Amino acid sequence: MRTLPLVSIALLALSPAAFAAGDAAAGKAKSTVCAACHGPDGNKPIDANTPKLAGQHEDYLAKVLRDYRSGARANAVMGAQVAALKDQDIDDLAAYFASQKGELKEIPHK
Amino acid sequence: MSRLLITVLALAASSLAFDAAAAGNAEAGKKRAYTCTGCHGIPGYKNTYPMYSVPRIAGQSETYLVNALNAYKKGERKHATMSAQAMSFSDQDIADIAAYLSTAK
Repeated sequence: MRTLPLVSIALLALSPAAFAAGDAAAGKAKSTVCAACHGPDGNKPIDANTPKLAGQHEDYLAKVLRDYRSGARANAVMGAQVAALKDQDIDDLAAYFASQKGELKEIPHK
Repeated sequence: MSRLLITVLALAASSLAFDAAAAGNAEAGKKRAYTCTGCHGIPGYKNTYPMYSVPRIAGQSETYLVNALNAYKKGERKHATMSAQAMSFSDQDIADIAAYLSTAK
């Protein structure tokens, strides 16, 4: 089929856009509001009700923020915070908090 | 009212208050959390459809973990595997698991 190579090239061109890489430095600049509850580096939440973000997986953070934005995950505070975020903002914030040192880790096997 | 009855009522009230608080026991939670390691204990483990890394939950805030498990249990937060797990947990199990995970080193 003559069109197949063209379709493949088109898909390749699309895939980077679908997984827009976050910019941690840009994310830091956008994270001031987050810091009020999650702490400046995302590792010092104001209470035990608020999750730590530092060192969390970048793609998980990006998914959660999109779920809050779409309403798939309902939370009054987070829903309001992320309502105006663009995809790039979400990816930048996810990159920033994922790059911070924190206490989150896999469950130890012992 | 007899002293005995008052004592019984006081005991009943205090045990109710304890249940409501459901203080977590990290040691018991560690045993319960064994299943969790199947996904949350493997570095780089991915959820599929959609694909994303399963979250790191050891060291996470205790009440946040309790709320997350309760949200899965009630169906407020949707994930087939997590809901199935959470529905098998009592309030005490959830408190124990959160106590363990939040302090796991």
